[in-house]
Amino acid sequence: MKQKHIQHLYWRASFGIDIKQIESLKSTSKLKVVSKLMADSTEFKNLELDLSEFDEIKYKTNKELKEKFTEEEIQKLKNKKNRKVRDLNYAWIDKLGESKALLREKMTLFWANVFVCRDNEIFSIQKYNNTLRKNALGNFRVFVKEVAKEPSMLKYLNNKQNKKRKPNENFARELMELFTLGVGNYTEQDIKESARAFTGWNFMKNGDFILQKNQHDFEEKTFFGKTGNFDGDDIIDIILEQKQCARFICDKVYRYFINPKVDEKRLEEITNIFYKDYNISNLMEHIFTSKWFYDEENIGVKIKSPIELLVGIQKVVPVTFDKKQQLNYLQKMMGQTLFYPDNVAGWKGGKSWIDSNTLMFRMKLPSLLLSNAVINLEEKGEFEDSFEKYYKSEKKQNKYLKITKSWESFDEKNQHLKAKEMIDFLILSKLDKDTATFLENLEIKSNRNFCIQLMSIPEYQLC
Amino acid sequence: MERRDFLKQSTLASSLFFVPNFVKAFENVSKSTFKHKKLVIIQLSGGNDGLNTIIPYTNDIYFKNRPKLSIPKNNVIKATDELGFHQNLAPLKNLYDQGYVSIINNVGYPNPNRSHFRSTDIWQTASNADEYLSSGWVGRFIEKYGKNPYLGIELDDSLSLIMKGENMNGIATKNPNILFANTNTAYFKKVLEQQTDAHLSEHNLGYLYKTMIEAKSSAKYIYETSKTYKSSIAYPNNPFGNQLKTTAEFINSDLDSKVYYVSMGGFDTHANQANKQSKLLKTYSESVEVFVNDLKKNDTFKDTLILTFSEFGRRVQQNAAGGTDHGAANNIFLIGENLKKKGFYNEAPNLVNLDTNGDLIHTLDFRSVYATILDKWLQVDDASILNKSFSKLDFI
Repeated sequence: MKQKHIQHLYWRASFGIDIKQIESLKSTSKLKVVSKLMADSTEFKNLELDLSEFDEIKYKTNKELKEKFTEEEIQKLKNKKNRKVRDLNYAWIDKLGESKALLREKMTLFWANVFVCRDNEIFSIQKYNNTLRKNALGNFRVFVKEVAKEPSMLKYLNNKQNKKRKPNENFARELMELFTLGVGNYTEQDIKESARAFTGWNFMKNGDFILQKNQHDFEEKTFFGKTGNFDGDDIIDIILEQKQCARFICDKVYRYFINPKVDEKRLEEITNIFYKDYNISNLMEHIFTSKWFYDEENIGVKIKSPIELLVGIQKVVPVTFDKKQQLNYLQKMMGQTLFYPDNVAGWKGGKSWIDSNTLMFRMKLPSLLLSNAVINLEEKGEFEDSFEKYYKSEKKQNKYLKITKSWESFDEKNQHLKAKEMIDFLILSKLDKDTATFLENLEIKSNRNFCIQLMSIPEYQLC
Repeated sequence: MERRDFLKQSTLASSLFFVPNFVKAFENVSKSTFKHKKLVIIQLSGGNDGLNTIIPYTNDIYFKNRPKLSIPKNNVIKATDELGFHQNLAPLKNLYDQGYVSIINNVGYPNPNRSHFRSTDIWQTASNADEYLSSGWVGRFIEKYGKNPYLGIELDDSLSLIMKGENMNGIATKNPNILFANTNTAYFKKVLEQQTDAHLSEHNLGYLYKTMIEAKSSAKYIYETSKTYKSSIAYPNNPFGNQLKTTAEFINSDLDSKVYYVSMGGFDTHANQANKQSKLLKTYSESVEVFVNDLKKNDTFKDTLILTFSEFGRRVQQNAAGGTDHGAANNIFLIGENLKKKGFYNEAPNLVNLDTNGDLIHTLDFRSVYATILDKWLQVDDASILNKSFSKLDFI
């Protein structure tokens, strides 16, 4: 495989690839590279924090808790538990950079922005994240059905409150609008009828799904022209019968993995593949082995998400954050905090990552991470904050990130590279003519230095 | 937005993309001289309790629902037979007495959402409750009528959705020196210095360079222009006061920016509300009064309209923790010299006819307020910015 093609594949299927691995794959055929990439994702580990200290509040009823703890202690424990979502965020970012199941992790991140969900309860959101991971390369049909039964989702889109006598249509609507079909591909009546099929869906204290029969509407429903005593799973099956569902998902896959500009003919091609059996692995393998995936027009044209940018840099120069909160700061400043999507529509991605402020920040990120650059910008406060806390960091001007960098690891792999090779390694996009001239005339002090410089040009924002 | 619409829009946008700016500017010349008009938007972030801000002090239901939290009649600064100001809003009452304030009650939208995030999105994008827009209403104004991000400035370090368009956004800064310095950091500056002519027809790469150039020129413009005026009036020494002070400096330096957005935090008062909100209202009204005086001193108040809103009001009934929970409709304030309807614009909140959550029901859509401001104050085509036509109100 050509170096550029290897890099393209690994940037889209993962967060980039180091130079040694590139070298080792150059003599391998595309089919073999892709099949290894797929195979490497069969085994994986869940994202799991040690949450044993909260077992009591997870499993005990309120009454039992009150017998053991004071009101204040319970509240304290609950607050502590809610803060754990931050820790899960840091653990996820680490996992994105470290996991050997490269494609599965990238797909998990992708699906988290399809089946968008937000939950402050650590047990359920951790479970949710692992359900995404488990199904990331599996069967889409099983996937949708499992996501629909997740506690976090049942809460987030109010399906828990969806009852026979008082249906709540929120989940049914978003299921079709945002998760499977897209606006305009169903009627209001379809929403009403399908919401009835999801009535009584709930979960138990341990997180297991339960159908509350007394709240479920067992009557006949008419959905997409079919009539029957449908339950939620039946509804999902009928949705998946619509080819539009396969197209809707493939369109998202196309924009995320191939090109933000969709080629309708290619989209039709992958839709046909996906519609056959909704097998996600097959779809991805088809894309990565196709010739057109490696067309010039698809390479280096996607604006990296903040997470892709951050993790991508770490793949070149491994870093560890001595103060994990600073990871939160970086995500907020760039507009993407994992587990905290803006709304159920998810991050729009592409150009919407970029405005004057985020671009300046993103271009400064390499020097913040790798050369102790000082930053004097503050993240926004939270809605729930007090006035003082909302503006808390106001006075802490000129901070820098406390980071341990493994330059040795970088040196070992990249020290020998010539300028041109460094550019080819780090920049996938076409080079702006003037910037190319600028780079040519640049006096290169060291490859460490040149690496930071290359990561600081606009072209590095693309993959 | 429908995907098809989005596709249509994005092809349209990309074809517009490389039309030179001066041509674009001619296309969108506004109806007349909106040139000097400024809009300052203040969001009371977290959901301000409107009922303890503008108090229905003669309504028994108010007192019944808030045995611990209601403001005693004697502490209210009475304005009408029904409504009065919180005692810490004395500075706002001063402005009100001079005819500079118009209070619109019961503003909201159908099927109100009680999540901070979602409801802020709705207010900032001017969407329906069941619609997800990825651009803000001010962002769309900037995109349609501006050549540069500085047409809209957020007084913060990062940009909120309200200021984001599809291909052009506003710019955020609470300190022009820092903003300017950040566009002069080694690489940003060096790369830009190399740029000779029109850039790259490449889709996303072109967009990056364009954004970079705009960022740099906006930062430079804001920095250099705003140097000409420094406020001599003392503002309350707190971050919100500082945000307004910087805004006044921008306006009084005759910066060509039209819209300023300031978010003031702390209003999510689920517990021990009384003290917290008192302090917040004091901070808010004292700072706003100084801000108005600063503008008046420089003869720019006549061209400035200040809109204050919150993403939702709070429940009529107090909760068990001495606070209030997320509600729905709320009052908004308009402050300016040219108000047509001074004082109270409409009826007091109806505390009898509440929704199923026990929240106020809106009688005016917030987008009618935006439409009015866009049409009558900024004098631009409101329907194309709000994606729909909303009935106009009569406050300016």
